[in-house]
Amino acid sequence: MAAPMVNFYFQLIAFAFLHQCTGTSPEEFFKSGHTNNWAVLVDTSRFWFNYRHVANVLSIYRSCKRLGIPDSRIILMVADDMACNPRNPRPATVFNNANNQINVYGDDVEVDYRGYEVTVENFIRVLTGRLPPSTPRSKRLLSDEHSNVLVYMTGHGGDGFLKFQDAEEISNVELADAFEQMWQKRRYHEVFFMIDTCQAESMFQKFYSPNILAVASSKVGEDSLSHHVDPSIGVYVIDRYTYYALEFLETVTPGSKKTMGQFLEVCPKYQCISTVAKRTDLFRRDVNKVLLTDFFGSVRNVELLPDSIHLQNATLHTHSEDSSDVKSDKPLSYAQQFPMPV
Amino acid sequence: MASDNANLPGGKITFLLFFALVNFSFTIGIHNDNFSEELYVKPFSSGHVMFHFQFTTVWNVSIDKPESFQHYHLFPKSLGDVLTTYKVKELHLSQTQGLWKHEKWGYPPEDAPPGDELWVWFQPHSGVDQTWADLVNALSGLFCASLNFMDSKSTVQPRWSFRPAGLASEFYSANSRFVRYSTLPREVVCTENLTPWKKLLPCGSKIGLASLLNSVKIYDGFYHSLGVHVRSVCQDTQCLTPATELKQTLTVVYDPTTNKNGKQDWSFQSMFDRTLQSQCPLADTRKIYVDVTTQETLPKFSLSPVPDFVLNQKRSGEERKIAVYQIGNHLSPSSLNLKAMYEEKLTFSNSSLPPVYANRFVTGYGLERGGVTCMIYNTMSSNTTVIFMETVPWFLRVYFSSLRIENDGKEIKPYKINFIPAKDRANPYQMELVFRLFANSVTKITYSFERAFLKWTEYPPDANHGFYVSSAVVSTVLPVASQYTATSQSVSLLEESFSDSSSSFFLRLHTETLLVSLPTPDFSMPYNVICLACTVVAIAFGSLHNLTTRDFTASDPSKRKGLVAKLKSFFKKEKESPENKPDSKEEEIPSQKDKDNSKSEEKDSKKKDGNSET
Repeated sequence: MAAPMVNFYFQLIAFAFLHQCTGTSPEEFFKSGHTNNWAVLVDTSRFWFNYRHVANVLSIYRSCKRLGIPDSRIILMVADDMACNPRNPRPATVFNNANNQINVYGDDVEVDYRGYEVTVENFIRVLTGRLPPSTPRSKRLLSDEHSNVLVYMTGHGGDGFLKFQDAEEISNVELADAFEQMWQKRRYHEVFFMIDTCQAESMFQKFYSPNILAVASSKVGEDSLSHHVDPSIGVYVIDRYTYYALEFLETVTPGSKKTMGQFLEVCPKYQCISTVAKRTDLFRRDVNKVLLTDFFGSVRNVELLPDSIHLQNATLHTHSEDSSDVKSDKPLSYAQQFPMPV
Repeated sequence: MASDNANLPGGKITFLLFFALVNFSFTIGIHNDNFSEELYVKPFSSGHVMFHFQFTTVWNVSIDKPESFQHYHLFPKSLGDVLTTYKVKELHLSQTQGLWKHEKWGYPPEDAPPGDELWVWFQPHSGVDQTWADLVNALSGLFCASLNFMDSKSTVQPRWSFRPAGLASEFYSANSRFVRYSTLPREVVCTENLTPWKKLLPCGSKIGLASLLNSVKIYDGFYHSLGVHVRSVCQDTQCLTPATELKQTLTVVYDPTTNKNGKQDWSFQSMFDRTLQSQCPLADTRKIYVDVTTQETLPKFSLSPVPDFVLNQKRSGEERKIAVYQIGNHLSPSSLNLKAMYEEKLTFSNSSLPPVYANRFVTGYGLERGGVTCMIYNTMSSNTTVIFMETVPWFLRVYFSSLRIENDGKEIKPYKINFIPAKDRANPYQMELVFRLFANSVTKITYSFERAFLKWTEYPPDANHGFYVSSAVVSTVLPVASQYTATSQSVSLLEESFSDSSSSFFLRLHTETLLVSLPTPDFSMPYNVICLACTVVAIAFGSLHNLTTRDFTASDPSKRKGLVAKLKSFFKKEKESPENKPDSKEEEIPSQKDKDNSKSEEKDSKKKDGNSET
């Protein structure tokens, strides 16, 4: 009785998706080669004066969510709490602009790694998938060989390293090896690596795995600069590169045809003051033909089946036994909460 | 495929199909759970207002039988899966920011310490430690909190303080093998914790009372506390079968007097920036209660809209008046904006103190030793027994011999003591004391500790902030329900506990957390050491090297001229040179000598340059 029910559900879902499809052919759906999108967004800085790094990563988080990547596919690592910090004059908000007032923290944010959990070890474990068995799903990067992964990192960096929470560093060699592990384990189809720190280019110079497109906010020897100060908060609220990147991303809609080539040209030198560096040699496709939503948006492609499929009823019990009847002979009693003589 | 699209059935037929399916599914299976949403508003004489949201789901299945956790309807599946996988019998999680001021506000419906607190009773099985470690990881993913830091270094098994709150046999609850208690005093609570909490509600956050939960306003409050409590309750009065109760609570305290020119006026619009526009259709009980006991006495206030009726709550020793609103009656024509308008500005007066309250603080100075003092105040005219529980981290080495309980200078001997010393980097200090509080008195508990050195890798990235000590837990039983707002043990809803005929009320309160500095190394030391070492090498070694490798020649001090003499001789030469031709020959010889000296000086300077280059 349940099997035809499930079959009916399946047909109905297929109908519903048909109803919503845009009318393009299925060959176009799978041209890019990926079937799902993931994002790993990392902020590595602690303390109030690094407010802008948290605003950076939340800006990218907001764009990813807006363009379709669900929370279950985003791993957000924020090293310190700015929104509910006692110094924040507007609690539960993080703004990236003193005037425009977009609350990038939003109302439905889910941070997966917070505070002291943002360490180099946890970051590498998330990328490579070598996590202890008790790690919950929301903290795992469950990508496969058809996943496009967006990796965004921000914080304080130098030539060849990125500082995590004032206590440790990740080097560019470690990062390159982590991506190679991901490639060998078939954990990504394509990676877009974005980094907004000082001397950011050094972080992707050592990459050697295929299908990685990388962009950095500054070249080796240059510092990435922050954008402006919010006088009521007292610190810089956003970095230049992420500010202009966000400005560009705010014009993108989920169905947009803007390309990665256009995104890589964001923030020329007169705006960013540092030179935006990019690395396209490891990337197989032509950057000007890759859609922005291949990395920032989420693919919800559906394969249309004209035939119906009969599924085995494997899991549902048709009639549950009277399991709720745990009738005891004596009436049950509440535990005594204060076990001492009063 | 394009042609298929053109032949699609219209939107109407799809809608009809959906409708038919939904109706069809309703006839399958009888749902044996019910959901209630309640809001309790209580203004305090200090000018603050408490809003206590309670969302209760009672599911008539037994948590002892995990296979009965199927066909989820109102109970959240994500939480149910965690409870069954990790053999949980009772779970109590609270996430709080702020300190509840017992002296001013009485007792909250759910008392919670600052930070995160989790205590769990497990089904009897072996390997509870491993199950606890797995459970905290799963919960950290579910609630977006760093609960995975609740490892063995901060977990204790309370022996008397945290007995099960629901149905349990005496034999089971006396066995502390199956309970685990841990707190994270430093944990921050923000919108990222509210989001997954809201997702557990059957109606979500878009309709019903949960639609009032505006994170920007809630986290601007004085005190806020999220709670998730799962326990077994009786299905009916006979109590032969258990049911599982999930209680989600959110307590917020605001201070309206700072906005409203000194008046304690509050309303949904001013406190939450929203009005109540809908009610959850899945809920059986949808009510708002406002405590109007002080409405006729000072300070006078009036409620708008007018309540449906006013209850008289009688609990031993305490009578309160509760105004009740049935939400459904007030949603049309416009949304419900519950307002209280006060006639006069707030006047600060001495509010009546609660029967029992406590304060705790660190004493001492320096980074070697210290002490902790806890003062417990009993304002009742009768004695009462109290259980005092403390969990101290291993790096504050407690001297058990220094533990003193004093009342008015006289030492009190505790009735029972449970003290488990710490193991470095493995277990914390666990202390439970049972003693008597005398009427109208202050009891002082003191002990001293010594601060340990941590290994340099064990310091957190912001080591100079200090280390937190979790709050102490004071449990007692009150004979009167003075300022007591918690629900009774045998009922689930707030409205069922308004009139309570019991004569004893279990009270649990938490004290402040402590912030203690440990001797912290200077982490900028490596940089400083390099600078210092290089300077020492450059000056000391360089000088020594010069002394040992240079060739020194003696110079005649009489021939060396001072600066003034040199200048004078320079001017003299200029004057005398055109006149003294025969002297010129004589002067050539000393000048030759000067040249030789200058050459040797050049050689010396070259040597010096050579040294500095190497």
